[in-house]
Amino acid sequence: MQWSSTEWQGCVVASPDGRVDEATAEAFAEHLASSVALAAASEGRKLVVDFAGLDYMSSRGLRALTLAKRQADAAGVTMTLARPNEVMKEILAISRYDKLFAVTDSLEGAL
Amino acid sequence: MLVRFWGTRGSLPVAPNAAIIQEKVANALLAASGRSFADLDEARNFARDELDFATGSTFGGSTTCVEIEAGDPDAGDPFIVCDMGSGLRGFGLDAMRRCAGGHARVYHFFMSHLHWDHIMGFPFFVPAFDPNAHIIIHAGHADAETALRRQQEEISFPVAFDWLRAKIEFVTLKPGETYQIGAVQVELMEQHHSHSSFGYRFTDSGGKVTVFSTDSEHKMEKMDGEADVEHFFRAADLVVCDTMYSLADSVSMKEDWGHSSNIVAIDLCHGAKAQRLALFHHEPVYSDADIARMHAESIRYEELTREAVALEVLCAYDGLEVTL
Repeated sequence: MQWSSTEWQGCVVASPDGRVDEATAEAFAEHLASSVALAAASEGRKLVVDFAGLDYMSSRGLRALTLAKRQADAAGVTMTLARPNEVMKEILAISRYDKLFAVTDSLEGAL
Repeated sequence: MLVRFWGTRGSLPVAPNAAIIQEKVANALLAASGRSFADLDEARNFARDELDFATGSTFGGSTTCVEIEAGDPDAGDPFIVCDMGSGLRGFGLDAMRRCAGGHARVYHFFMSHLHWDHIMGFPFFVPAFDPNAHIIIHAGHADAETALRRQQEEISFPVAFDWLRAKIEFVTLKPGETYQIGAVQVELMEQHHSHSSFGYRFTDSGGKVTVFSTDSEHKMEKMDGEADVEHFFRAADLVVCDTMYSLADSVSMKEDWGHSSNIVAIDLCHGAKAQRLALFHHEPVYSDADIARMHAESIRYEELTREAVALEVLCAYDGLEVTL
C-alpha cells in the first residue's frame, strides 16, 4: 500500500492508498502511528486520515484505526476520517465505526 | 454431518413478551392485507414462505446448545452436543424420543466453557435421570465437574447432582491433540475469554468439518495470533462463531467482555477459506428485527470484502438444521 503525509492548515493529512487487508494491515498501523506522532507535534494537533485513495478495509484495518485513535487521544490529537468511498462508507456503517469516529465527505469538513 | 441448533442466544435466555408477539401479528396482518386463506395450512405456508423471518418467526431465546449428528445413529453412533445452555432442555426431550426409537443412550458433550449460560440447561436435561444413559462431558477445563456440581447445590437447585441416575464421566481434553470420539475426530483450541474458553473442530469420516467457536474475543493487540484461528477454521464446511457485538462495540464499551463481532468472524472465515459461517451467540437485548438486520449487513460485508470463493453467511436460530 502507498502512504503519504502532508501538513495542511496546521494539521496532518495522512493519505493511504489501495486496500487494507491481512497483508497490509501491519504497515497501515505503523503509518498511522507515525502520523499520530507527526500530528502531536503539529500546530493544530489534528490528524485527518484521507480515505479518498482507499478501496476497502477489513477488520484488521478498522482495529488498527482504533489503536491509532487511542494513541491520538493520549497525545491530545483529534482524529477524523475524511472522504470514504461508497464501499468504505458501507463498511464504516456495518461495523458501526461511524459511531466511533467523526467521518466527513471533504477534507475541509474535517478541519 | 447434520448440525442442529437448540440454543443460539448469548448470556441470558430471553422470551418474547405480549407486546412483541402483538407487533409480529400486526405486521403479519398488514402483509396479508387483501389476502384470504382457505385453511390453516395455506396460512402456515404464507407465514413460512412470504413473511420476512423477523415477522413470521423468531431467532429464539435459548442459550447455547448445538447438536452435531455424525456417522450413523441407527447403527449406534452416539449423540454429540456442544454446551449445555437452556437449549439443552429441548434437546434432552427430543433425545428421549429418539432413544425410545433405538438411538444409543450415549451422550458426548463438548464444553466451550463453564459460564452460567453454557451450563444452565443441565439440571433440566431429562436423560441425566435415565439409569441406562451414559453421559461423557469433555472439556478443556479441568474444573468442569466442580461447575456442574456447584449449580446443583441446594442453595441453587433442589435436585443434587448425586441424585442423577445416568452414568456421568468427566474428561479433560488438551489442545494440540486429536481425539476420535463417537463418529468424529475432535481437536480443540484455547480462546480468549474470562476463565478461558475452547473452540472445537469436528471432522467426520467423510471429511466434513464443523467448527464450534463461541465466547471468543479476538483482541486488537493480538491480531498476529489470528493466523492460528484461521488455521483452526481452515476449509471448514461450517464455522459456528460468536458474533455477539458490532465491531465498534467489541473494541470500545464492550472490550474485554470476551466476545467477537460479525465483521471479525467473516474476515477469519475468509482467511480460512471456510464454506459457511453461522452467526451465533446473539446479544439478548437484540430483537428479531435487530438480528435480521445484523444478518443482512453481514452478508453485505462478506460481498464487499470477498477476494476469492464466496462465504455463505447463515444466521443461527433455535431450530435451524444445517446439512453438510
